[in-house]
Amino acid sequence: MSTFSLRRAAWSPYVAGVVIGLLQIPAFLLMNTALGASSSYVTVAGTLASLFDPGITRIEYVAKHLEGAKNWWQVALVVGIALGAMISSRLGGTARTGVSRAWGRVASARPSVRFPMAFAGGFLMLMGARIADGCTSGHGISGIAQLSVGSLIAVTAMFTGGILAALLFFRRI
Amino acid sequence: MSVVTAILIGLAMGFVFGFALEKSRVFEPGIIVGQMQMRNFIMLKIFLTAVATGLMVLTVLSLYGVKMHPKPTLAMADLVGGMLLGVGITVAGACPGTVLAQIGAGYKDAWITLVGGLLGAMTFSYAEPALKPVLMSASSGKLTLDGLLGAPFWLVAVPLALVLIVSLLALERWRPWRNELGERADGVTSEALPPTESAPDLAHTVHP
Repeated sequence: MSTFSLRRAAWSPYVAGVVIGLLQIPAFLLMNTALGASSSYVTVAGTLASLFDPGITRIEYVAKHLEGAKNWWQVALVVGIALGAMISSRLGGTARTGVSRAWGRVASARPSVRFPMAFAGGFLMLMGARIADGCTSGHGISGIAQLSVGSLIAVTAMFTGGILAALLFFRRI
Repeated sequence: MSVVTAILIGLAMGFVFGFALEKSRVFEPGIIVGQMQMRNFIMLKIFLTAVATGLMVLTVLSLYGVKMHPKPTLAMADLVGGMLLGVGITVAGACPGTVLAQIGAGYKDAWITLVGGLLGAMTFSYAEPALKPVLMSASSGKLTLDGLLGAPFWLVAVPLALVLIVSLLALERWRPWRNELGERADGVTSEALPPTESAPDLAHTVHP
């Protein structure tokens, strides 16, 4: 089987990194923006919230995430991520069920522990990403590639926070 | 550009992004948490490769006059937000983008991470008018390394890309990626199994 066969379970991380880096070309040339993921959460959450609380669209921050093609491009991007990963995992024989067995090693794979952790992790992740105005994609992959000083600070803080949390909360394996 | 066109471009780009995330295994909680425990370096390898590639791509684009989009420098927000983001990534075992790849691959807890993320984004949206004057004031503009040095983009980007490539070569020599996958490609390697082999616990010897 060739190294980059679609049916392989894993590709070299360097190939994947190059593919992700090359996605900046259509992002800059077609969409006039850099790769990012976390602002799509504001677009989706704001849209859902506006069904119950139309007043949320009066918040300028929410309003500017609900209008225009660029916001919906990013929502489509993250939906595409799920589709691409689904097809890739079916082709590679790596489709998953339940939770990762890594959780049993570092914390607990029991739903009563893992599900609240997943919720808290997701909540903190997006609170943090929105405060910092970017995530692993927007600040990490795109920000550093643009030599942004703020992104260098955010990514350093991100790895610091992540490593500290792993030390404090998880079993060393 | 129409919203429909933007959505089609987004879906196509996202498909490639998700495919690369899945094939590289970086979406696996075992690999993300493993990186934060400094025992698995696949995440760093992909991350730095994507940055190095981006630096080269943007060097070419900048020479053709394509406009960059660096984010405003907000030191306090970048620091506090970045820390919270990092804690969240470890606890979730995902990033805002890779959680969608986890959903695509079939992990059930990723749906809960996604709901937590949407509620986090909603909570921030309601709090933003109050947080803005505290965390997001005193922007020093959109600072970039090339701007601070008064150098053209390529003069900083190309050497930085080369430094990253050399670092990656050294990292790969130290920790070959194939040894980090684990036999089920989820970042759980045999040395990450419970310490029955390295430190046999006689009281709990397993009789097959």
